[in-house]
Amino acid sequence: MLSNDTLDLSVDCLKEARLEAGDYDALCQFIYGEARLLDARKFEDWLGLWAEDGMYWVPSDPDQVEPYEHISYFWEDRHLRDVRVRRLLDPTAWSQQPSTYTARLVGGVSVDGVDHDGHLVASAAFQITEFHRDETRHLAGRYTFKLRQKDGAWKIALKRVDLANAGGLQENFEVFL
Amino acid sequence: MDTQGHAAQLGTREVAALVREDSFHKSLYTDPELFDLEMRNIYGRAWIYVGHESQVPEVGNYHATRLGDQDVIMVRGTDRKINVLYNRCAHKGLKLVHDGSGSTGKFFRCPYHAWTFKLDGSHLSAPLRNAYQGTCFDPKHPDFSLRSVARVDSYRGFVFARQSDTGPELREFLGGAISFIDNMCDRAPEGEVEVAGGVFRVLMRSNWKMMYENVIDSMHPLATHESTFNAARQKAEELNARPLELNIMASLGAPYEFWEQLELKAYDNGHGSMQDIFGGGNLAEDPVASALYEALSQVHGPDRAQQIMDTNIHNSVLYGSGMLQTTYQQFRVLRPLSVDRTLLEVYVFRLKGAPKEVFRRAISFANVSFSPASNVMPDDVDFYRRCQEGNMADGGDWINLHRYAGQDREERGARIAATGTSELLMRNQYQAWKSFMSPQAS
Repeated sequence: MLSNDTLDLSVDCLKEARLEAGDYDALCQFIYGEARLLDARKFEDWLGLWAEDGMYWVPSDPDQVEPYEHISYFWEDRHLRDVRVRRLLDPTAWSQQPSTYTARLVGGVSVDGVDHDGHLVASAAFQITEFHRDETRHLAGRYTFKLRQKDGAWKIALKRVDLANAGGLQENFEVFL
Repeated sequence: MDTQGHAAQLGTREVAALVREDSFHKSLYTDPELFDLEMRNIYGRAWIYVGHESQVPEVGNYHATRLGDQDVIMVRGTDRKINVLYNRCAHKGLKLVHDGSGSTGKFFRCPYHAWTFKLDGSHLSAPLRNAYQGTCFDPKHPDFSLRSVARVDSYRGFVFARQSDTGPELREFLGGAISFIDNMCDRAPEGEVEVAGGVFRVLMRSNWKMMYENVIDSMHPLATHESTFNAARQKAEELNARPLELNIMASLGAPYEFWEQLELKAYDNGHGSMQDIFGGGNLAEDPVASALYEALSQVHGPDRAQQIMDTNIHNSVLYGSGMLQTTYQQFRVLRPLSVDRTLLEVYVFRLKGAPKEVFRRAISFANVSFSPASNVMPDDVDFYRRCQEGNMADGGDWINLHRYAGQDREERGARIAATGTSELLMRNQYQAWKSFMSPQAS
């Protein structure tokens, strides 16, 4: 199986993060930029934001602590993210005719700390408006990122998307949240 | 009955005429009056899955859900037996508990006026009882208690209820389909399974019968899931490996010859199964399967273990209740909401006594296959909806199920399809529908 079960997913017991002047702005720009790539459907560029072992996770329960013995809407490593992108861009993705378009508002970026592995943990509130075939859906919740530096840039080791309605009745999710 | 999908008067003969040997009228998908009749004649008469005993392990634990168009509560009684009650307070009719699981303690207490009821539904108390003196209020009269669903029975922990007093017993109703439940439970070294790991709840804007057809429809994956298996196959080639997640998606692109050789088995009352498509029994290639085989061998010996592992079913339909996937321990339960709305609940089961990785594999399978965010399901769900929309147009009145019609064979109580691309299982579902809906005519 593809799932990476070595990544520390917890956000408990974080050490205080000490950011240099200007680092907070750069962090915000990274998080806004990630959202913007998804809204612009620049999925291949978005894949490039990830650490090699990074995991994309959308729990199906508001208090979910792990993705191994509990189902998740999304639990995707780099290969599964890549498969999703390929499908989204494939002209035979019938339910994506026409494509889903999104616009998201991300704000309240907070620096939560540093985890055991040295990842910077940051979180932000989001609202996503999804538009598909004359229908508009609103999703909202909180993003939690674990980020690590590589070659002077942030890479995503974890993006956890906690939907406000995670425990609710859902319709298809096709694009990344 | 006109042919525009609206049944003005639904006499038994008119309903029976909507299902032919090899086709059925599109109004079965679109007519709200037929839906209402289905709720009475199918969901009011058949044994329908309510939940699993493991969801209510302790006295007072409950799971509230839908039985056709009825809100019901499955609750563990003080005698530890499972009761299924209509979810309506006997006083003002308040829906007593919210849908989903919880615990009510030793009795139900309505939060509106504090009437209380025992766990078997019988009246316990109402405040200021003196006020009822001289009235016909009688705590022993059924009007003042929660009403029970007519019949409740379970098989290996799977709880079913029947709203009518008459009809076949559960085991008779399930018939050969009981083997599907057996195959899931037999895979557990302790012989028991339990619900675990959360539930996906998905709204589908389509008639409930479409998904029962689709899950045993071997002619759709090559067309419907083209984008999914293309992407997964490319990835598997790059990796030179087919881990479970990719195999699930890539297998959908197998050529027609592969699907033709699958075994399809149909049983009475609309039940049926399609043989595994993911190579789930391949011990040599699947370390999780071989770990399970080892665990089963220790309990049953190698021959019986091999026999259990060799029984690999992809999807099996328990008509009216849902679809079991025994190899990966999934149960997708369908709850009809209206003629064009269906709730899908996806449950994962843990095999008691099995190695930990077996359950982890089941979770991965659920995520990749049955999550609303899966790369597989959106195209199916989208097509159900488009069938719902398309059938509102006056472009023809019949849904055809002709593939290999008339070529089925009987074998040990089952009807076996001529090939794996036969539409036998769909024809079987609609013949059952006809029997339920027009019992005198069939």
